[in-house]
Amino acid sequence: MDELLQHLVNALILGSTYALLGIGLTLIFGIMRVVNFTHGELYALGAYAVFLLEASLGVNFFLALAIAVIVGCAVGAAIELVLLRPLQGADIDTTMLVMIGAWIVMQNAELLYWGGASKAIMTPFPEQPLQIGPIFVSWLRIFVLVVGLALIGATYLLINRSKLGKAMRATFQDRDTAALMGVNIKGIYTATFAIGSGLAAAAGALLGPVFLVTPTMGDLASLKAFAIVILGGLGNITGATLGGFILAFVEEIGAGYVSSGYRDGMGFLIIIVVLLLRPTGLFARAERIG
Amino acid sequence: MKRAPALFWLLAIATVPLWLRDQYYLHVLITTAIFIIAAMSLNLLLGYTGQLSLGHVAFFGIGAYASALTTLGFDIELPGGFRVEHAPWPAVAGFGIAVAAAGLSGYAIGKLSFKVRGAYFVIVTISFAEVTRLVALNWVELTQGPLALNNIPPYTLWIPGVGDYEFWDKRAYYYLVAGVGVVTYVVIKRLVGSRIGRAMIALKENEPLAGSVGIDVTRYLVLAAVVSAAMAGAAGSLYAHYVKIIDPDIFLFIYTVTMVIMVITGGKGTLAGPVVGGVIFGFLPVVLRSFAAPAVQWIIYGALMIVIVFVLPEGIVPAVERWSRSWRSPRPAEATILASSKARDE
Amino acid sequence: MKKFAVAMASLSAAALAGALMTSATAQTIKIGVNEPLTGAFAASGNYVTDGAKIAADEINAKGGVLGKKLELVIEDNKSNPTEAASVAEKLMVRDKVPVMMGAWGSSLTLAVMPKLMEYKVPMLVETSSSGKITTSGNPYIFRISPPSAVEAAAFGKIIDKLHIKKADFLVINNDWGLGTAQDFGKMFKDHGITVGLVETMDQSAQDMSAQLAKFKASDADTLIVTSAVEQLTLVFKQAAALGLKKQIITTGGSQNPDQLIDQAGGAVNGTMHLTFFAPWAPEAAADPQATKNFLAEWKKRGLQFAGVTESFRGYDAIKTIAAAIQKAGKADPEAIRAALWETELTGLNGKIKFTKAGPAGKESGQSIPTVYLIKIENGKVVIPQG
Repeated sequence: MDELLQHLVNALILGSTYALLGIGLTLIFGIMRVVNFTHGELYALGAYAVFLLEASLGVNFFLALAIAVIVGCAVGAAIELVLLRPLQGADIDTTMLVMIGAWIVMQNAELLYWGGASKAIMTPFPEQPLQIGPIFVSWLRIFVLVVGLALIGATYLLINRSKLGKAMRATFQDRDTAALMGVNIKGIYTATFAIGSGLAAAAGALLGPVFLVTPTMGDLASLKAFAIVILGGLGNITGATLGGFILAFVEEIGAGYVSSGYRDGMGFLIIIVVLLLRPTGLFARAERIG
Repeated sequence: MKRAPALFWLLAIATVPLWLRDQYYLHVLITTAIFIIAAMSLNLLLGYTGQLSLGHVAFFGIGAYASALTTLGFDIELPGGFRVEHAPWPAVAGFGIAVAAAGLSGYAIGKLSFKVRGAYFVIVTISFAEVTRLVALNWVELTQGPLALNNIPPYTLWIPGVGDYEFWDKRAYYYLVAGVGVVTYVVIKRLVGSRIGRAMIALKENEPLAGSVGIDVTRYLVLAAVVSAAMAGAAGSLYAHYVKIIDPDIFLFIYTVTMVIMVITGGKGTLAGPVVGGVIFGFLPVVLRSFAAPAVQWIIYGALMIVIVFVLPEGIVPAVERWSRSWRSPRPAEATILASSKARDE
Repeated sequence: MKKFAVAMASLSAAALAGALMTSATAQTIKIGVNEPLTGAFAASGNYVTDGAKIAADEINAKGGVLGKKLELVIEDNKSNPTEAASVAEKLMVRDKVPVMMGAWGSSLTLAVMPKLMEYKVPMLVETSSSGKITTSGNPYIFRISPPSAVEAAAFGKIIDKLHIKKADFLVINNDWGLGTAQDFGKMFKDHGITVGLVETMDQSAQDMSAQLAKFKASDADTLIVTSAVEQLTLVFKQAAALGLKKQIITTGGSQNPDQLIDQAGGAVNGTMHLTFFAPWAPEAAADPQATKNFLAEWKKRGLQFAGVTESFRGYDAIKTIAAAIQKAGKADPEAIRAALWETELTGLNGKIKFTKAGPAGKESGQSIPTVYLIKIENGKVVIPQG
């Protein structure tokens, strides 16, 4: 029983960062129809930015976190402007190939600059975990959960309450009509990619100190984000949020009670099961297949 | 007159080992040729039906594992106490089993994933490859997991006048791979030119329209998936008996990426595209290796992918064909594709 | 298109320049180095390669071997077994190296082994620990790292002092980890220690909380962990976060204790590690002067101190190969193979001398290295029994 509770707490914390990853990717997927292979690299970039700022420049950990998110947004916007905007109207495999190229370049640039040895990010949180009954949670992970949930909430507000969010939703529903109504589609694309990238960088900046920072850390993150998006349905933010938590729970319980070797495979098994039963994702309200 | 170019290319392929004395380049050529076969099979899905399968390496890997396991034998216990024992078979049987196993999984995946399109289809196919990798990694009893299947024996063929011949020699293996490659090329050419092929191309151009004129969309897509997967399985078997070791990393995404690059740079939906792209990206790592640090090799590789898409979005073969139309007049099927890809670019 | 053509032209020009360079340096003795320089094991592979470079430079500064300079032909196997086999082929066929060093991981080395038989070139194995490497009847294999059975036996001599009653295992899911669980498990049973849970982790896994939660619930008093330093760091951090209070002992010699202290902080206090090099007490090493020189050179090159527990292997491997070439009198694969059997030297780890292992008639060479048990206390490495 204690073991189960511990698994549940672990999953809850992990789920919040998975949700961040998933929301970022689902926005880009849904609105731009781009299979974004650089998502994991922006996750890695967030972590490396915190490392660089903190270890080399002595910036305060919390400030470094905030800067990392901004860096993520900026790099995301740059990728959109340089690589995707000139390709507007190209088919999905063309843009995808460019994104794969960008992914390979980014990952190996990280390897070249920082080397293969993993980096650790130090945090101001105490090493002694918080103990609640039989459950142990590190302070850092509690912080990750809180910030993760706050960012998810902020994204919701942005999409549902702001003018930019309204334009994004309109573009998602019908790009051509939105353009006719005076929505600046190009601007929306850049904003979407920047926000999605910023969320990925935030997830990386939050998980960087929990795990370690390595050049290949983005690969697994990308694959998990894909799984979450499929689970939740394309462009569905609520779906991605729930999908993130579900994936974390399935992984944690699967690793704890079934087989730890398949831990990182749970997501893909979920994808296949979901597609057998509900090809449009668990939480799809309407048919969205183009 | 029409047959002259074909004969020329056949002759060129056949004479390569006569002048290429360097064993290392011959090795690169063999592995490249194997990947070209896989790329050609991917082209059938990606280029002709327009379905972007990013899990293609799964069929390649399934073929490799099926062939290796058939040849090496295994002894496993399934849940419920069933024991499956398999004594080693000759490697040639492995080739047949590989084609069948990959084709069968192509059928299953086709049935499952053609329910969805676009980005969904992409992710489903990636997931499928990832699941096969995890199975190969964790089903240690069957696949040896991360320990890899090692010492895979070479093919043995009975050749008149020679008797049983074991394919150890690189030159002999080159001819074997080239033979399978030519057969694959001809099969794809025939298929694309047939009624079935025209139906597939119609699907790519306009799926709802194709459906409305009575083309059974899913049936043709599944058929394309089966043929394509079986060919990739054959390539996998050739690979397994050549490198003589297979590990779960054979299912890595980067191998699919390699095949996709070969198809798209060469020109998707063209017969020669995967061959041209395959030769370029097969030898590129060898060229890069001689002067760049490992991480830099990858950076150049990735950057070149982006540059090629920007400079030659439709691929090398269509571009060359357009420039030198006098070389030979494009056949109707290719003309449609050219026209449509031009339309997309505009 | 123009841009593309220019790029291709410059690429081929560069390739040509590379080809010319290799022919210009034909007056050297080539040694193939097959290591993971990118991918999952990039950090370790680069450290080993750095160690190998130091050894080669040191030998060349003293005039080289047989009047010729040593030239390391370094290739990246991308942490991938198939690539390791392909790279080995390249080294033997293209560069015609008479001897190689490699390939770090057991799975990588196992992949290269059939190629050695095919081209009849000996390889010095510097890191891999799977038993299979020396017992499968490959006469071109010479290993200076301990297989897990040897490591387990060395640990067996001191294990009674630790008063272990029951031990769980958390091992990396490959030949190295699974082999360790098997060999240590056997040794534990001989010492009357019960073996509890055996859990695995994928080599790319980052979150081991689920496995650790299981260990927390188990009644074992000790946890044996086998993996490279990155994953060990995560295991220690996550074990501390879960309040797992058991004796943790790591095996395998890829722990880089200083990196652990640096990155996992207080979480590593009280943990023990089986290592094959003890740079913290160079005066106690088999060859104190060589050890000090090596450490000084490492520092001079601005490399991470934590890497020395990995890099000494590359150094020892090249030293051994150089000694064998000297003894052979010529840079010929068969002569070097024969000479390796008679080579005897003192490396950084200790005595290197090959004894026969595996089936009769096609034995592999195995040198029995020294194994140290170290403990981390208050952020410092201590060597309990010297």
